Amino acid sequence: MKTRLFAFVAFMAVPPQFALQAQVSYERLLNAATDPGNWLMYSGSYSSWRYSTLDQVRRENVNRLKVKWVYQMPTTNVVETTPLVVDGVMYITEPPSNVVALDAVTGRAYWRYRRALPDKINVCCGQVNRGVAVAGDRVFLGTVDAHLLALDAKTGAVLWDTEVADYRTGHSVTVAPLPIKDMIICGVSGGEYGIRGFLDAYDQKTGKRRWRFWTVPDPGQPGSGTWSGAAWKTGGGPTWVTGSYDPQLNLIIWGTGNPSPDWNGDSRPGDNLYTDSAIALDADTGQLKWHFQFIPHDVHDWDAVQVPVLVDDEWQGHPRKLVYWAHRGGFYYVLDRETGKFLFGTPFAKQTWAKGLDPAGRPIRLPNIDPTPEGTMLWPGVQGATNWYSPSYNPVDKLFYLTVWENRGLFLKGEQEYSPGNRYIGSVPTIDLPNDPGHGAIRALNPKNGERVWDYPLLTKPTAGVLSTAGKLVFGGSDEDYLFALDAQTGRELWRQNTGGMIRASPMTYLSRGRQVVAVAAGSAIFAFDLTESQ
Amino acid sequence: MTYAVLLPLMCLTVAAGQEHGGGTNRPASRADVEAGAKTFRSHCAVCHGPHGEGGRGPNLANGQFYHGSSDADLLENISKGIPSTEMPGLFYSADRIRQIIAYIRSLNSAAGVKPGGQPSEGAALVRSRGCLQCHRISGEGGRLGPDLTSIGQMRSPEYLRQSIVDPDADINPRFKTVSFRDDSGTRYQGFLMNEDTYTVQLLDTHEQLHSFAKAELSNYKIEDKSPMPSYKSTLSDAQLQDVVAYLSSLRPQGGRR
Repeated sequence: MKTRLFAFVAFMAVPPQFALQAQVSYERLLNAATDPGNWLMYSGSYSSWRYSTLDQVRRENVNRLKVKWVYQMPTTNVVETTPLVVDGVMYITEPPSNVVALDAVTGRAYWRYRRALPDKINVCCGQVNRGVAVAGDRVFLGTVDAHLLALDAKTGAVLWDTEVADYRTGHSVTVAPLPIKDMIICGVSGGEYGIRGFLDAYDQKTGKRRWRFWTVPDPGQPGSGTWSGAAWKTGGGPTWVTGSYDPQLNLIIWGTGNPSPDWNGDSRPGDNLYTDSAIALDADTGQLKWHFQFIPHDVHDWDAVQVPVLVDDEWQGHPRKLVYWAHRGGFYYVLDRETGKFLFGTPFAKQTWAKGLDPAGRPIRLPNIDPTPEGTMLWPGVQGATNWYSPSYNPVDKLFYLTVWENRGLFLKGEQEYSPGNRYIGSVPTIDLPNDPGHGAIRALNPKNGERVWDYPLLTKPTAGVLSTAGKLVFGGSDEDYLFALDAQTGRELWRQNTGGMIRASPMTYLSRGRQVVAVAAGSAIFAFDLTESQ
Repeated sequence: MTYAVLLPLMCLTVAAGQEHGGGTNRPASRADVEAGAKTFRSHCAVCHGPHGEGGRGPNLANGQFYHGSSDADLLENISKGIPSTEMPGLFYSADRIRQIIAYIRSLNSAAGVKPGGQPSEGAALVRSRGCLQCHRISGEGGRLGPDLTSIGQMRSPEYLRQSIVDPDADINPRFKTVSFRDDSGTRYQGFLMNEDTYTVQLLDTHEQLHSFAKAELSNYKIEDKSPMPSYKSTLSDAQLQDVVAYLSSLRPQGGRR
């Protein structure tokens, strides 16, 4: 006993400075793109390229990729998490609102935080979660009962627990938060429940809210003239996919969701700002610096819940800060990141609702495209030509990769009546036509002109994002259960693995004891792959 | 749902609580059904279909429920949701949920009208007309058409009638036929049991299972027509009624109803 006590005391006598040093400093987050051994935030870096400079796994050897480990989750909910890896520890969310810290080498768990949830929570599309954020020594989690939590990164102990909004009125948090400076940025879900959307910043240490930007403005505020009557109170505009951050401009660029009710706009005449928009907020104050609305007065649920891809490159002969954005309505856009000015737009998939875009980027709608009680058939369908699935940008080949749906849908207009906490959508959407479900693809675009460079067609429509790497590879997944690797320059398939579960998440990559690992959520598990033989 | 369709259903309203038990249920009025129908269209039809016919969620119109059939069961399931399913709970008062139940019961009572015809005659026709060469009932028969053991629960009499006279009207994707040649030139034809971007699985006309890599196949073709012949001209109206009556009587045994 004495010997054990001595050993414990000796262990405790290790100089404390190592433990006291914040593990993930803001400086590390700023430089995440040059730290490819880790995956420090949802899209890999503040620019949201979901690109890794790792090249151990490359076109020549990717056919030797094998399963390294599998972590199974006790859940029946869809798993949409992007794992984060920090210094050998992988942090994942298990739906609905749990967090697990795994050994990134073996897949064995260190700890699990299990969220006790109320019996009745309404989330439109399943009780899901897309991942955590890590900053300092803390892991940040949004929950389907609309709370934001800080957990101790070493033990999972709750450090604070803040209510973001009332879940009983249809609010939930499914987004992976984004750490910026000493704040944690958190969006909200609930566009199918008539919430009034917002984007929040919280103090990382205390959980106290620093600012809130309402995506539907108060009466009298700029943009409020695009609403009528009391519609703004239930106007939607959720913020459920992680945005991006430009440290030089100190701008948060984030996408907003559909106005409510989705498919019946009778109660909300007007453009309905700032729904279906890219918004740029001052990170310190939450004040709106610019916005670009992709679809004014949306009645098709083609919301702007995509990951903004921030790129500095030449535009028409001059260096410019750009935003690349493939929007759910089927158009690809280039925006000026400093002003929000529309620079370019063109369809990237079949669409039958707009003649084109005017010089300001506003869609020129074709006649008879609104939902009707009998149904209006349009491309793209209700789920859009793409959706929340992460795109990727490869800075070497300067290609933009994305997941595409080529399908049509029947847009039905129904009754709508608001009641707190219940669905407020005004329709019965038909996502898949039984005899014409359409198909999917992984598509590479030239981001300067939107032209298709290559296509990897899929029989079914995928619900997974893409990852590109310096190994000249693009990784993607499908509802057919496959994870696949494509030649980043040609789209040729080089490898695939049947995981036995639908992939409805975006892949990431990291180093495990110096060896590159590719990981993705599939079914109710996390799969980690690496090369089995020496290279 | 249009009011033209809805009104006849309202006339068939069953007083909730009288036949289905469930504690202190009050009789449902026509106004309850109408109010329930409106709520149903706003909140339930997304998954259960505009007429309760089913979609992403199960059919509610046929009176068969997997999680309890009493009004008390429905009240609990609608207000609290059903664990481990996508069924959410509604944030409504019990009285308003009872209106929804009244509307569902109005659908059930319409569905509960038994088709005319003699099930026993229909059973004989199903055997004598060769239906079991392809279809299977309680382990008897073939595998080249849908198993009919519980078809009365899954399909309405109207749907069954249409399937018999016009088999192409609605084909279960599982029973579409696929044909192709493999790399040796051998031709295969059978029911498309599954496919993805890279592979196809089928049951051939000899009831053998096969799986192929699509890259090795040529002349790949999926037929949208049913191989089942129409019985429009080979069954009299009375015989058709008998067959529908028999098929409608085929329901699963046991379980919580």
